[in-house]
Amino acid sequence: MTEPKIRFDKVSKRYGSLTVLDRLDFEVDEGEVVTIIGPSGSGKTTVLRVLMTLEGVQDGVIWVSGEPLNKMQSKNGMVPANKAHIRRIRSRIGMVFQNFNLFPHMTALDNCIEAPIQSLGLSKAEAVERAEELLAMVGLAEKRDQYPSQLSGGQQQRVAIARALAMRPEIILFDEPTSALDPEMVGEVLSVIRALAAEHSYTILLVTHQMGFAREISDRVCFFDGGKIVEQGLPNELFGNPQNSRLQQFLSKVLEAR
Amino acid sequence: MNVRYSAIAALIAFLLGLAVATFSELRIFLPALLRGAAVTIEISILSAILFFSMSFIAGIGRLNSIRPIRWISTIYIEVFRGTSLLVILFWFFFVLPSFGVVLSPTQAAVLGLGLNFGAYGAEVVRGAITAVPKGQKEASAALNLPDWKSTLRIVIPQAIPIAIPGLSNLTIEMIKATALVSAVTLVDITFASVQQNQIHYRTLDIFIVAMVIYYCFSQLIRFGGAILEARMTRHLARPH
Amino acid sequence: MDWQWDFTFEVVLPRLWEAAGITVYATVVSFAFALVGGLILMLLKMSSFKPVSFVASEVIEFIRGTPLLIQIFFLFFVLPQVNITLPPLTTGILAIAIYNSALTAEVYRAGLQAVPRGQWEAAIALNLSTYRTFRKIIIPQSLPPIIPALGNYLVAIFKETPLLSFVAVGEIMHASKLIGSEYYRFNEAVTLAGIFFLVMSLVAAALVRATENYVKRSILH
Ligand SMILES: Nc1ncnc2c1ncn2[C@@H]1O[C@H](COP(=O)(O)OP(=O)(O)O)[C@@H](O)[C@H]1O
Ligand SMILES: [Mg+2]
Repeated sequence: MTEPKIRFDKVSKRYGSLTVLDRLDFEVDEGEVVTIIGPSGSGKTTVLRVLMTLEGVQDGVIWVSGEPLNKMQSKNGMVPANKAHIRRIRSRIGMVFQNFNLFPHMTALDNCIEAPIQSLGLSKAEAVERAEELLAMVGLAEKRDQYPSQLSGGQQQRVAIARALAMRPEIILFDEPTSALDPEMVGEVLSVIRALAAEHSYTILLVTHQMGFAREISDRVCFFDGGKIVEQGLPNELFGNPQNSRLQQFLSKVLEAR
Repeated sequence: MNVRYSAIAALIAFLLGLAVATFSELRIFLPALLRGAAVTIEISILSAILFFSMSFIAGIGRLNSIRPIRWISTIYIEVFRGTSLLVILFWFFFVLPSFGVVLSPTQAAVLGLGLNFGAYGAEVVRGAITAVPKGQKEASAALNLPDWKSTLRIVIPQAIPIAIPGLSNLTIEMIKATALVSAVTLVDITFASVQQNQIHYRTLDIFIVAMVIYYCFSQLIRFGGAILEARMTRHLARPH
Repeated sequence: MDWQWDFTFEVVLPRLWEAAGITVYATVVSFAFALVGGLILMLLKMSSFKPVSFVASEVIEFIRGTPLLIQIFFLFFVLPQVNITLPPLTTGILAIAIYNSALTAEVYRAGLQAVPRGQWEAAIALNLSTYRTFRKIIIPQSLPPIIPALGNYLVAIFKETPLLSFVAVGEIMHASKLIGSEYYRFNEAVTLAGIFFLVMSLVAAALVRATENYVKRSILH
C-alpha cells in the first residue's frame, strides 16, 4: 500500500476552550481531488490553514508524502518541527485564498515570479518564462503587466492560482475560491480549477459551497461538522443518497437557497 | 481594555507617589508643585473650552457653503496650525499690547492654547463631518429639512462620536502644551519644578513627581475619552 | 501698531537669519535621531520576549504622556549631575529626539499593522523567508501610511524647536527674546519669528502632501 499524500493523524486544534478540529483523522491520496463541504464554522478553513502551517495544532501529527509536517524525527523520537523542516515540507503545498491576497504593489507577473526566484532559486528568465506560461494557462497572458487593482475579482483569483502553481506544488489548497466573487465571475475561476482537477497531476483539497461543482469534479466529498468528518464518499453517493441526518439537513438548506 | 489597565496603573502610581511624597523629605517641594498643578489645571480647563468651541466653529465653517466663511475658517486654521505655540504665546503677551490690547498672563495663555489647538481640532471635526455618510444628508433633504437644520440635527450628532478619539488626543497634547505658559510668567507644574530644583537641587525626585502628575492627567483624559466614545456609540452597534 | 522698518532690516533680520540656521540644524538632527530611535523602540515593543515588550510600551506611554518641555529641563539639569556635560543644543536635540522616538515608534507600528494579515499568509504559503517577506511584501506596503506621518513629525519637530529657548539655545525664539530684552522692542522680532514658522510650515506641509501622493502612486497602483 502506498503512503497517502496527506494524512491527518488524530489532529486537534483548539482556540482557547473552543475545539475546532477534534482528533481528526483524514487521508488524501496522491492525485486525488477531495472537496470539503459543511456548515459555516465547522472547521473547513482550519483544515487547510493547519496544512499550510498558517496555524499550529495542539495534538496529533500531519503527514505529507509520508513525512511529518508539524513534527520531525530526532534521536529522541518525534519532536516539534523547526523552521527549516517546516519550510522544506511546506514547499510541496500551495494555497489559493478566498480573498486572493495578491500583492497589490506588484504586477500580475511580479506576483508570479517573486517567490520562485526567492524560494526555488530560479533565474529571473526561467521564472518569467514559467509565469508567462501559467498566466496564459489561466487566460491572462495579456494582463501580465497589470496591477491587481486594475483586474476584476475573477482575474485576480486566476492570477492567484497562477502564482500558487508557479511554486510547483504537489498539493493545492483552495479555500472557497469563488466566495468573494461577483456571480458572473465565478465561472471563469471554476473552469481553471476544473482543468487542474482533470489533469490529476496535483493533489487538490477544495473547500466550496458550489455543490454542483463539487459533485462534478471531486473524486471524493467530505462533509465536516463540529471539527470532524461526519460522512464522506463518492460525490454521487454523498449527494444522491446522504445517510447522516445533519448532512441531509445541510444539503436541503443549501439547495433551498439556490 | 488597555486603557482601563493604564488608568488603574496611573492611579496606583499617583497614590504611591503621593504616599512617598507625604512621608518623606519630598514634602519640602510637593506643596509648590501642587500649587503649580492647580495653575496647570485652571489653564487646561479654560483653554479646553476655547479649544472645543473653536474646533466646532472653524471645522463647520470650513465646510460652509458661503465662501467668505470658508475662507476665514481656512485662514484661521492654517495660521494657527502653521505657527509655533510658543511664538503665539509671546505674540499675544508682548506684541498685542502695542495694538492696545493688554492681556493678563492667564488670558494670553488661554487664548494662545485655545486658538492653537482649536485650529488642529477644526481639522478633526471637519474630518468627522465628512466621514458621516452622504446618504444621511440626502435623507434629510428628502425629508425636506432645511440645510442648516440637517447639519445641526442630523450630521453633527453623528460626527461627534467620530471626532472624540481625535479630540481627546488633542486634549492630552494641549494639557502637555500648558507646560509652555511660563513664557507668559505663569508658574505651572513645569516652572514650579524648575524653581524647586534651583532651591533644593533634588532634580530626580522633583521632575519624576512632576512628570508622573502630567502622566496621570494624560491617562485620565485618555480613559475619559474612551468611556465617552463607548457611551456615545453604544446604540450605534450594527445588528449582524 | 508700532513697527520700525530700519530696525527690522538692520538688527532683527540679520540676527534671526543667523538663528534660523540653528533652528533648521536642530530640526534635522533631532528628526534623524527620532527616525532611528523610533525604529528601535518599535522593535523592542514588538519583541516576542514579554518583559522587554512590556517595559518598552510603558516607556513609550510615559514619554508620550509628559510634556516635551519638562523632559528638556529634566535632561538639562540631570545630565550634569551624573557627570555628563553636553552643550545645551546637544541636550535639547537629545530630548526632542527621545520624545519624538516614542511617537515615530507608533507610526512604524501602525504602518506595519495596516498591512492586511492575508499578505503575511500569502507570503507563508509561497514559502518566502521572513527577511524577504519584510523587504519585498510588508515594508513596501507600509510605506504609504508611514511616510506622510513621518513628514508630519518633521514639521512638528520644527515647531517644537522654540522650546530650546528655555535652556538658552540660540535658535529663532531665543534670538527674538534677546532682541526684545536688549532693545525693549518685541514687535518686529516676535512677529517675524511667527511669519518664519508659518511660511516654513506651509511649505513643508505642501511638500509632505506631494510626497504622500507620489509614494501612493508609485507603490500602490
Ligand atoms: N483565530 C481564531 N481565533 C478564535 N477562533 C477561531 C479563529 N479562527 C477560527 N476560529 C473559529 O474556529 C471555528 C472554525 O473556523 P473555520 O475553520 O474558519 O470554519 P469554516 O471555514 O468551516 O467556516 C469557528 O467557530 C471560528 O469562529
Ligand atoms: Mg471558511
